[in-house]
Amino acid sequence: MDSQDLIRSARFRKEREADWQRLETLVRAAESKGLQRMAFADARDLAELYRQSTTSLAIAREISLDKALLTYLEALTARAYLCVYAPQERLGGLFGRFLKRGAPEAMRRSWKFILLGFLFMTLGALAGYLLYFENNDWFYVFMPSEMASGRSPNATTDSLRASIYGHDSGTSGLGSFAAYLFSHNTRIAIFVFGLGVFACAPAILLTFYNGLILGAFFALHVDRGLGVDLAGWLSVHGVTELSAVCIACGGGLKLGSAVLFPGNRTRADALRHAGRDAVKLALVAALMLVAAALLESFARQLVQDMTSRFVIGWGVGALWLAWFAFGGRRLR
Amino acid sequence: MIDRFRKGRKDKRPSPDILMPPEGVPLTLPIAGVGVRTAAQFTDIVLTSIAAISLLILLSTLDLASPQSMAAIAVLVFFSIGVPYYVLAELAWNGQTLGKRIMKIKVVAHDGGSLSAHSIVLRNLMKEAEIFLPGMLLLTLGTASPLEATASLVWIAIALLVPLCDRYRRRLGDMMAGTHVIHLPVPILLKDMAVEKPEVETDRKSFVFLSHQLDHYGAFELQTLESLLRARNTPAATAANPQTDAAIATIVEKIRKKIGYAAPVPPQDRLRFLQAFYNAQREHLEQRRLFGDRRDNKHYAQTDKDI
Repeated sequence: MDSQDLIRSARFRKEREADWQRLETLVRAAESKGLQRMAFADARDLAELYRQSTTSLAIAREISLDKALLTYLEALTARAYLCVYAPQERLGGLFGRFLKRGAPEAMRRSWKFILLGFLFMTLGALAGYLLYFENNDWFYVFMPSEMASGRSPNATTDSLRASIYGHDSGTSGLGSFAAYLFSHNTRIAIFVFGLGVFACAPAILLTFYNGLILGAFFALHVDRGLGVDLAGWLSVHGVTELSAVCIACGGGLKLGSAVLFPGNRTRADALRHAGRDAVKLALVAALMLVAAALLESFARQLVQDMTSRFVIGWGVGALWLAWFAFGGRRLR
Repeated sequence: MIDRFRKGRKDKRPSPDILMPPEGVPLTLPIAGVGVRTAAQFTDIVLTSIAAISLLILLSTLDLASPQSMAAIAVLVFFSIGVPYYVLAELAWNGQTLGKRIMKIKVVAHDGGSLSAHSIVLRNLMKEAEIFLPGMLLLTLGTASPLEATASLVWIAIALLVPLCDRYRRRLGDMMAGTHVIHLPVPILLKDMAVEKPEVETDRKSFVFLSHQLDHYGAFELQTLESLLRARNTPAATAANPQTDAAIATIVEKIRKKIGYAAPVPPQDRLRFLQAFYNAQREHLEQRRLFGDRRDNKHYAQTDKDI
């Protein structure tokens, strides 16, 4: 049929139809293979044809009443849009950037919240410590029985010492690694972060409670003259692990404070903004928990000397601090 | 009055299905509902658990590790089908996990930009806190501790209520990450009805419509007629069917009466008449549109007065 006979919108369609069909095949290829594996010319054409199809869509909405054409162009442009604006970073690059810049910068930006996390933990520990000396029975109130594993005010001093300087028998390194990774503190860290959204309170309470346990446990050993030994025993992994809980708490507080005090933004907007740093804090906490589990399962059983326990624990802590303080700063 | 007020308020906000890409041409991407997303989630859980269990069975039959290490490996495998699986799958497949691919839904950035790795990590971390953790608690606690079980039930209920109350059906994690989930549109190009000009045989006169005869209908009626003609052109419908023939006869008579088309249309020419009317009407309406006169439906005259 002669194109002059056609009405205007049909001519419009006829002129561009081949391009749209090419775009459709390119979109299908991009969806099945991924943009990275497409030929250079194809990827270039995809972007170009996508932009052409957006203008086609804008024009068609104005001049055409052909419903089939409009729905087709809508769908095609939307599919092409999803391909063109797909994330184009490689996983390795993502991890590298997170470790080098993203994580330490987020830590520095939210130091106040992390400090609050440490504060609540310390307050809890102090309260637990003082309450234990007031009355030994507080220990049973705070301590979940499965965590104490026999280390209670009833235990003898010798058995307490043995559990500090003893070998766990019967578990392989990897087995105990997994056991520690999914132990009490990991669950606490997840809860503390996730619950922070609900207006901070659950995160604060949980961190405080964790501190209470720690304080009471410590007081028990101080009572028996084992305070320094326990500090060494805890330092190996505790510096890393408890910091991780505090950092997770900082992330949760950041989210919670966005809900409580959104400022000039809407609450959803404030949450989104706070989420950028909070998620990095959560990932840092996860990383630290894995490191703590490694330390706990291997280093603590291998190193029996108290001073080297202190050195390892606080040395690793200093390394973390150095990463947070100096990572990603530009050299001048 | 109240009705009108409510209507006015509703109309002011853009439809949730509209997404604005950086090019500035709004695209229609229909929001995926809670049902289809739950289905995708269940599909994911089933598929990943099957994969994990078969992997573990394979490892244990190969007898490579001691029982204690096996337990550790099992814990690690089950850990990795949680958040890590969802994050890596959505990164690799541009916002789709296996379940989402099967259900043909997809995560997009709420502001129309590209989906960042940060958003994907955040929305899936929150999935752990929102769904998996209380879900696991609910399953493991059972009836032993009714208080905690109720608490986790309430928790799940709140997590499910949030998307139901949101226009974009976003979870808490979606809100934080700035994402929402859409149905993938399927582009199918149907042929242009206006190109399908009926072959005019020499002995029959072609239908001619005058300008005032085309002033009765708007875009909605035109597109309804388009759907009718398309349905007639499918292979299944071409075989003569007395019922559809009767319907077409009624439609032709209605149109003739409305536009005041005097000459009668013989039965064998009815489809040809509709086709010709479609072409003429579309050309006329598109012409009016170019001059800034949009006629959305046949009541266009009244709505103009209202404004």
